[in-house]
Amino acid sequence: MSVLLRSLGPLVERLRADGYRVMGPTVRDGAIVLAELDSADELPYGWETTTGPGRYRLHRRDDRAAFAHAAGPTSWRSFLHPAKRPLWTADRDLAVTEPQPQPQPRYAFLGVRACDLHAIAVTDRVLGKVDGEYARRRAALFIVAVACTEPGATCFCASAGQGPGLDGAGCDLAMTELADGASVRYVVEVRSAAGGAVLSAIPTEAADAWEVNSAREAVKLAAGRMGRSLPEVDLRELLAGALDHPRWDEVADRCLACANCTMACPTCFCTTVVDSTDLTGDHAERWLRWDSCFDLDYSYLHGGPVRVSTRSRYRQWLTHKLGTWHDQFRESGCVGCGRCITWCPVGIDITEEVAALAAGTQVEG
Amino acid sequence: MGTGPTLAVWKFSSCDGCQLSLLDCEDELLAVAGRVRIAYFLEATRATAGGPYDVSLVEGSVTTPHDVERIHQIRDQSKLLVAIGACATAGGIQALRNFADVEQFRSVVYPSPEYLSTLDTSTPVSAHVEVDLELVGCPIDRRQLLETLGAILAGRRPDLPGHSVCFECKARGTPCLLVAGGVPCLGPVTRAGCGALCPAYGRGCFGCFGPAATLNPPALVARLTELGLSPREVTRVFRTFNAAAPAFAAAAAPEEAEV
Amino acid sequence: MTHRDRSLSVAGLARVEGEGAMHVRVRGGRVADVQLEIYEPPRFFEGFLRGRGHTEVPDITARICGICPVAYQLSACAAIEDACGVTVGGTVADLRRLLYCGEWIQSHALHIYLLHAPDFLGYDGAVEMARDHRWIVERGLAIKKVGNRLMEVIGGRAIHPINVRVGGLHRVPPASELRALIDPLRRALADAVSTVDWVAGFDFPQFEHDHELLALVQPGSYAIESGTPRTDRGLVFAVSDFERHIIEEQVPHSTALHARLAGRGRYLTGPLARYTLSRQWLSPVAREAADRAGLGEQCRNPFRSIVVRAVETVYAIEEALRLIAAYQPPAAPAVPVPARAAVGFGATEAPRGTLFHRYGLAADGTIATARIVPPTSQNQASIEDDLRRFVEGRLELSDHQLTHDCEQAIRNYDPCISCATHFLDLTMLREA
Repeated sequence: MSVLLRSLGPLVERLRADGYRVMGPTVRDGAIVLAELDSADELPYGWETTTGPGRYRLHRRDDRAAFAHAAGPTSWRSFLHPAKRPLWTADRDLAVTEPQPQPQPRYAFLGVRACDLHAIAVTDRVLGKVDGEYARRRAALFIVAVACTEPGATCFCASAGQGPGLDGAGCDLAMTELADGASVRYVVEVRSAAGGAVLSAIPTEAADAWEVNSAREAVKLAAGRMGRSLPEVDLRELLAGALDHPRWDEVADRCLACANCTMACPTCFCTTVVDSTDLTGDHAERWLRWDSCFDLDYSYLHGGPVRVSTRSRYRQWLTHKLGTWHDQFRESGCVGCGRCITWCPVGIDITEEVAALAAGTQVEG
Repeated sequence: MGTGPTLAVWKFSSCDGCQLSLLDCEDELLAVAGRVRIAYFLEATRATAGGPYDVSLVEGSVTTPHDVERIHQIRDQSKLLVAIGACATAGGIQALRNFADVEQFRSVVYPSPEYLSTLDTSTPVSAHVEVDLELVGCPIDRRQLLETLGAILAGRRPDLPGHSVCFECKARGTPCLLVAGGVPCLGPVTRAGCGALCPAYGRGCFGCFGPAATLNPPALVARLTELGLSPREVTRVFRTFNAAAPAFAAAAAPEEAEV
Repeated sequence: MTHRDRSLSVAGLARVEGEGAMHVRVRGGRVADVQLEIYEPPRFFEGFLRGRGHTEVPDITARICGICPVAYQLSACAAIEDACGVTVGGTVADLRRLLYCGEWIQSHALHIYLLHAPDFLGYDGAVEMARDHRWIVERGLAIKKVGNRLMEVIGGRAIHPINVRVGGLHRVPPASELRALIDPLRRALADAVSTVDWVAGFDFPQFEHDHELLALVQPGSYAIESGTPRTDRGLVFAVSDFERHIIEEQVPHSTALHARLAGRGRYLTGPLARYTLSRQWLSPVAREAADRAGLGEQCRNPFRSIVVRAVETVYAIEEALRLIAAYQPPAAPAVPVPARAAVGFGATEAPRGTLFHRYGLAADGTIATARIVPPTSQNQASIEDDLRRFVEGRLELSDHQLTHDCEQAIRNYDPCISCATHFLDLTMLREA
């Protein structure tokens, strides 16, 4: 059963009144980033993006759509699995203190696309059972998903995952945006009891059949407009057999090893643990911090790093993301959001690299 | 004064900014003074004590024959020698002389250049003696300095990442300037530690923390060239405060590096 | 013990633009020779600036001095904007002045509390002083910290700020970031006023200089980031004429060049000069504090420069509060500065005195010539003159006392740590 919202203002107000920190897309520093919204007015109405390998630009649109943009430089993991957080502190008297259970941030994510919804589900299977802090944030999360009707040139969710529609995806409310000149409307479906409660507390209208149909059509069209795709082969098998492929040397020449791909990726979850002491020597802290397989220290074992070359590190990243993730978590680690392509400063394209490996394998095979 | 290890702070050719970083630790300065015995630190006190010293912080680059002698003496007197800042770790901005004719520089600046005694190169401390730890940056980061002092006092390894500035941009949520604005940025080849300051202020990183532990300058040069930088401009962006760091020197003049 | 023939020598002057020494030779009861020797190795900035782009100059010249990088950045910007015929005004100019206030606050607090006050109270340094006067040192550090925070908010960091560019700034701070500084600045203002009262009570040697005083003057405000050079004896000239009036000479004992005013001789720049020439433009609280400290119309005792610095700190804090109260973020952080073949001149008031820059640009902005005249080289001849007269009047003192007093006399001018401070290894030799 779908309803129609003519404005997101009341929804954001309701969520804030319910104690949620509402996080959503907004324009900042030349990009659409995810940040806390004080009101729906901060959404990027009338903005769209063009993306390409190593390239991202904002443009004005003719209509006032707020969700006509491809994935930005940040992903939702910044809030569920933040860049750094304390694990414990200790004082000289050996009293070890876990961080005070701070008032848990209760987040409401507004505008989660299918790729990112999928990424949250993938991360649930990685961290959900082993990281208490993640699990607590996740349990308190309210998700307003928005179907994607404007895929970008670096998008490939249709071939990597479950986009761009929201059928069967786990969320509280699922919306499709219909923009027409100055008017924007949202066709909304309730997907959870919590979603129903929020929606019943704000004024809505019944969506008519034409609107529901338009929404469905827009998503269907989007599925056919993906800028990229992954080769239709068994990637796990392909990568397991391509460890000595010359393509790794070739990509290593172009790769900066700067880690932007892993930092932008919505499913990369690697961390490092850092201990610090203060000057008095009476106080110590242990912090968890994002890390990356592109960091030389990441593979540091006794005596030195295991993956010294850029070749070995790029291979590790791609092989894990698309191949050995299956062995570890029984699915792919890639959701097709295209961030690693867009936000690579030199525009290395994961789909192109895999295609090259696949082509090479076929030739050799 | 404290009862802990003795600390000495030495200056070579530099701007004083890195040792000022210690005095800029307003909240921690007196705590530091309580934990170490400051044996030699002219910027803070005229009282000096002879060596040996447990910890020596060395600021500045080696640019005179006398400097060469002095750095060896300091090494001999120091259990732990920490080079601080771009001058001490890479030769600093004054290492631009390494790529030019010093005679010409002398006569540009000084009417009577014969009064001066200077070497043709500006070199990092590590070119002369063994260095135990390096704190990079022009200037060094105050938090990294405190982290290092805390680590030395606790006998642990300091947390001084070797990765790129991109890590810090992403962690603080700054959109990539190269990608979103086509702005030339050295972040992908520059060592983290500043907190990705420049991109947060809307300007490309200019590499004041020097080369990252792992980097691929030719790949970045290709990208900078696509963005419209001329070979001369590429040379300039790599030839600033860490001009003589080998990876940046090679990026600035690939043809020389291959010779 | 005869004091008629002897020489005082300080082998390692710490913090005189890095490294310096002092030599005083006494013969027949007269001071025969005084040398403030600056042997900081030359770094050739004017040499390697040639061939760089005009937009690179502020960041490069900042590295001349870690204590007053903003002075170098803004003198450089002024000169290059002058060459290109661009004026940076309005709120962006205010933000630059605000940044400069931060530098004055931190640099002056550093000098007053950590470098100069220990001389008056008989300590080797501030850490030693803190053992007996911890809260006083903490007060100084608190003032200094506010200056640094101001620089961090506007400049990105306190040492070698990254936000200054030719034509303006890279980013303008949101009003909220500046407003967050109001309370700390108000507390610092109270501390700075207490500082004036505190240092005014020190014992000052009876000593007066007779140097000509030079500073920028900007009617309506106390000159910081711009103004017209003027002396207390009536000389006025445009910044673009500075090379006709300021003559620099190299002396064998120094890697800093000595400056004098053409046809007039040695002169002094810095707080004493600024106070004498711009006293009327001090803010109300600063003026009151100066009156209470008994500074009068002018201050000619260099030992009392510590009081003037304290008054200027009060001024810089009040001025920062005024600028923040009026702040509305400007529409753009910078104006375009297209290059052209021209020569440009710039001057600002560094904490230690007037800092002149001149650049010659090629049509594409490449720097063809560069000239930098820092305050410490302008003051060097006057410092030597002070030492000569100071020693001559105190030949009855022991070597130990006299060398200590000479160090203090040099620190009166805060010769840029990279503009001067404490001596090391002071020795006094007598001639046979």
